[in-house]
Amino acid sequence: MLTRRDFYRFLSIAGGNAIALALAVPGVRYLLDPLTKKGQTGSFRTLTRLSQLEPGKPQAFPIIEARQDAWVKYPKEPVGSVWLIRQPGDKPVVLAFSGECPHLGCAVGLSADQKSFFCPCHTSSFGFDGSMQNKVPPRGMDHLQVEFTKEADPQVQVMFERFQTQSTERKPLV
Amino acid sequence: MFKHLSNWFDTRTGYKALIHEALEEPIPGGAKWRYVFGSALSATFMIQLVTGLFLMATYSPSATTAWGSVYYINYEVAGGWFLRGIHHFGSQAMVVLLAMHLVQVLIAGAYRAPREVNWWFGMALLFITLGFSLTGYLLPWDQKGYWATKVATNISSGAPVIGPYLQKIVVGGPDYGNQTLTRFYGLHVGVLPALLVMCLAAHIALFRKHGVTAPKKAVGVEMFWPKQVAFDMLAGLAVFGILVLLVVSEGGANLDAPADASSDDYPARPEWYFLSLFQMLKLFDGDREIIGTMIIPAVIMIGLLLLPLLDKVLPRGFAHFLACTFVIALLGGAGYLTVKAWQADASDQVYIKGRMKADQARDRALLLAKEGIPPEGAAYLLGRDPLYHGGKIFENKCLGCHALGGKVTGEQLAPDLKDYASRIWVRGLLEKPDSPEYFGNVPGCDGMTTWKESSKLTPKQLDDVADYVGTFATIDAETSPSDWADDPKTKAHPGRASFQKECVECHTMGDLSERSKKMQPAPDLFGWGSTRWMTRMIKNPNAPACYGFLEAEQKMPAFGEQLTDNDVTTLVRYLKGDYLPAGSGSMTGKAAAKP
Repeated sequence: MLTRRDFYRFLSIAGGNAIALALAVPGVRYLLDPLTKKGQTGSFRTLTRLSQLEPGKPQAFPIIEARQDAWVKYPKEPVGSVWLIRQPGDKPVVLAFSGECPHLGCAVGLSADQKSFFCPCHTSSFGFDGSMQNKVPPRGMDHLQVEFTKEADPQVQVMFERFQTQSTERKPLV
Repeated sequence: MFKHLSNWFDTRTGYKALIHEALEEPIPGGAKWRYVFGSALSATFMIQLVTGLFLMATYSPSATTAWGSVYYINYEVAGGWFLRGIHHFGSQAMVVLLAMHLVQVLIAGAYRAPREVNWWFGMALLFITLGFSLTGYLLPWDQKGYWATKVATNISSGAPVIGPYLQKIVVGGPDYGNQTLTRFYGLHVGVLPALLVMCLAAHIALFRKHGVTAPKKAVGVEMFWPKQVAFDMLAGLAVFGILVLLVVSEGGANLDAPADASSDDYPARPEWYFLSLFQMLKLFDGDREIIGTMIIPAVIMIGLLLLPLLDKVLPRGFAHFLACTFVIALLGGAGYLTVKAWQADASDQVYIKGRMKADQARDRALLLAKEGIPPEGAAYLLGRDPLYHGGKIFENKCLGCHALGGKVTGEQLAPDLKDYASRIWVRGLLEKPDSPEYFGNVPGCDGMTTWKESSKLTPKQLDDVADYVGTFATIDAETSPSDWADDPKTKAHPGRASFQKECVECHTMGDLSERSKKMQPAPDLFGWGSTRWMTRMIKNPNAPACYGFLEAEQKMPAFGEQLTDNDVTTLVRYLKGDYLPAGSGSMTGKAAAKP
């Protein structure tokens, strides 16, 4: 039997929960909204001409793009960087690495002796072929796909993508 | 199991005694609906707190980012419109409930001894709440908040002696800007909530100490839990229900156009609950204004604060009567002034027109914001928009002499600039150069009319010439006259032969040295109608390549000194139709359609 007192109890608790729920539902949707926003998907960018690359010497190129940061639309500006190394030999072979360290995402530069890649944050070290040279990073530097245009001096195009850090496998960011 | 767990927790925290203490409050005379206002206020404050915290996760307080972040909350983040709407209308509910709570306390005589101090805490809470309203109103950095708050802070500058210093401190400098916003934000989300929570805690503690002010003939006692709690909860639900209804029916809270310090016709109004003060200002002009801005509010404030002490000097019943009369008269007066203010606006054409323009600006800004807001700030959305800003410049500076699609504000002395320099415009000119749409009313510009009288070109040839001249506007700034003349496309154009036969008798094409004494005066047509040509025409219409040949009183004024580069750029783009068209979401304007 529902007594008057029980009814008041029920009303108090249900009422409070109703308000809380009515705010929590839009609130949670609001807080989880970033999950619905997609980053820019990978695409090929022309970075340089083959003749501009010196065999065996790593060179950094900025990725330039217009980007939307929440409500702000930025004009074209550097948003990341890519390392290119032309391989010795007659055939045009160029290795491209993302400049983002696979460990925790710091920017990878060259070591002091200019003979390896080195991340200044947690001392990740990589060879010029991208392989790990110490156990700090979970995997080697991330290879990016390279294509050439069909010209005598082809343009070097690189598929610019971002990958999950801290994983032993190379997984593109969703 | 649950009992076991709760006991374990209770022995370590004593929470059960705490809840008991909170809920088992005796209410002499039993639960009553008239006791719900304080609780409803607390509930609404909790709603404000929760929604405010959500908004903080997106809002960004700076003159460049505030509007954009509120736009983002309102239109891009899921549920953002709802949370902001509840927060917006919740602030109004706070003010309404405050008034109701105040009246209830007054009628019950709950302000009298021994509850004087609690009345004062209540007054403090009133001012804190109004402080919340005032500071929160500015945060979106839209026209509405900007101008309303500017007026409010300017009022503070009228205070004797300290006024100007006070204003400078509140505003954070000599001008409105980033510091104003950060200071108001700090007050709104830090200082005021802390003060409110402290005063509310004291208010409730004192209330508990003295208990409810029960009617004299109250019999029996009921506990706070559960009947009064249920009443309070229903009141809270009713308030929340009204808020949800308002938010849904209004589609969330309004966001006006971004704040623009240069606007000259924005009809600033405060939020409705301050309208009575706004209206009161109209009653006091000149040096008497301080009566409306300072003296009357101060007298009311002091009067309210002294109410509990009235009993000391007057008979109890009479003091109560006087207090009630005072506050009812106050609310009545405020209501009267508010209605007066509404009535005044409803019949004020200047206000109605200003508000209409403001709404148009808002809609345009929201449309432009969809494409992204420039990093320099939301003010540039409209500031760089050819349709809005360029159109405004055109209206202010050009429409006195030029027409646009037949519309002119003064006596038309210059050509109609609708589709100026386009193929259609040129074709019309070649047909009837002395029409008022072209050079019919323009003093000193009868060269085309003279040409028309002796021209031997057929309609087909005129079509081709119009086509040819229509391409001049597409010549970009990098192309030199010889580059252009050597271009095979130029040479092959069907209109070129006729142009070379008749038009070059007067017009040069980029090389003024070709001009001989025998030629009738005429502007150079290289790149005519292009951005470069139009810019020069606006900045210096009397350059030799433009209309330098005219007599002094026939000349178009040069606007190079009067207009900024941005003014000229947007004006040119406006005339060329190079902008996001009204009522569409993407670039499909005339400019985008051009090859």
